[in-house]
Amino acid sequence: MKYKEYEVNENVLYTKTHEWAKIENGKARVGLTDYAVKKLKDIVYIEPVDIGQHVKKGEPVAAIDSIKASENVYAPVSGKVVEINSKVVEDPTLINKDPYGEGWILVIEIEKPEEVDELLKPEDYVKLLEEEEH
Amino acid sequence: MVQLKTPLYEEHVKLGATISNFAGWSMPIVYESTIKEHLSVRKSAGVFDVSHMARILVKGPDSANLLQKLVAKNIEKAKEGRMLGPTAFLNEKGGFIDDIMVYKLSEKEFLIVGNAVNREKDVNWIKRFVEGLEVEIVDLTFEIAMIALQGPDSSKIMKKLSSSNIEDLDFLHFKKDAEVAGVKSFLVSRSGWTGEDGYEIMVPSNYASKVWSALIEAGATPCGLAARDSLRIEMGYCLYGEDIDENITPLEARYWVFTFNKPPYIGYKALLKKYEEGVDKIRVGIKLKERTVPRRGHKVYMGETCVGEITSGTFSPILNCGIGIAYIDSKHALIGAPVVVDIRGKKRKAKIVDFPFITK
Repeated sequence: MKYKEYEVNENVLYTKTHEWAKIENGKARVGLTDYAVKKLKDIVYIEPVDIGQHVKKGEPVAAIDSIKASENVYAPVSGKVVEINSKVVEDPTLINKDPYGEGWILVIEIEKPEEVDELLKPEDYVKLLEEEEH
Repeated sequence: MVQLKTPLYEEHVKLGATISNFAGWSMPIVYESTIKEHLSVRKSAGVFDVSHMARILVKGPDSANLLQKLVAKNIEKAKEGRMLGPTAFLNEKGGFIDDIMVYKLSEKEFLIVGNAVNREKDVNWIKRFVEGLEVEIVDLTFEIAMIALQGPDSSKIMKKLSSSNIEDLDFLHFKKDAEVAGVKSFLVSRSGWTGEDGYEIMVPSNYASKVWSALIEAGATPCGLAARDSLRIEMGYCLYGEDIDENITPLEARYWVFTFNKPPYIGYKALLKKYEEGVDKIRVGIKLKERTVPRRGHKVYMGETCVGEITSGTFSPILNCGIGIAYIDSKHALIGAPVVVDIRGKKRKAKIVDFPFITK
């Protein structure tokens, strides 16, 4: 699925702050959407919170720097951070190159399954992008 | 407020630039990638639309007298065909009204190029002092576009595109009416703001697209303002509104835009006093030990003591780490000293360094 030049992956769910979450066995794998990455361009640095840290939905789980701006990645769901992609920490350009694949950032163990229902479906995320682009 | 557009605005849209407000102008910030654009300027050639810069003509028999009173370098030393600068208009406290380049076009005509953000302020500032003088102030910003070609391949490109031997111009020299891509320019200078070889081309606005396209066709990469910013920070150049303003003098900024060897100009007395008494803070470079980026407002510490603040920062694609310009309390401004920068609540290791950040 695509909106303009922005890829919207059909197998993940989305937040209004442009993160994606892939739900698998009670865990959420989290990354930035193609739209977010194309807006940020040139991501040069990422610093996720530590493994084992508990985060609440909507709280920052990683700080990122692009050349232009410093931003946060926000937790799509509450829970414990159980995995971090050390490859993107070493080479943040992976996020630019493959945002839905190798550019994943971290995995959160889902604490409140009902929060998953609040995430946006791909078609709703496309609608959000339509609004943002106006 | 309506945002201003340069004559090249449509070209930027066509190239898919991210366009955003800068100093009241809709400017291209980045086309594809700031890092790529930055590296093109360091390694081959890049082209920038800098038409937002202020271009102000001062003409008439009293032009030199007027500017001698307003400009911090000696206008009597200005020569036709050579740029005088960087220099500055200072206020009575010695603070920057603007940092500028002065082009002596003839005995009675001078062109001032200043910062976009200061265009109207500069015009008003000059006009404050014209009473009784035979001078005319003309804002040429909208009739003349300005394009910067920057990078080691610049002279090769100019040789290809111009029959006016522009490639032979010396650094900070300029040529009026030089031909570029079949267009008679207003002037072409060998200058720029990236630390690389290059040219700044001023052409009538309606020919801007023709010259712009020819430069790209000849191999220059279109570059946005984000690359312009990362390039100038690597060189330690000041940006007005970030690193200098009306409350900063050239002394704290270590920006040698003035001379004391001329009759007093506005700001002279205050500057001389400060020169003799010393300054409280000094502009230095801050080099991070990692890739995280220091930003304006981030605090710099030695131990528990806050010793200064970042005024502009970026990621250096050449050094592969964060770099910033900071003002550090003069007792602590020790080149080589380790410091930490508070970035998002975390203390990041860094070092005080001199400019430029990169050696060439």
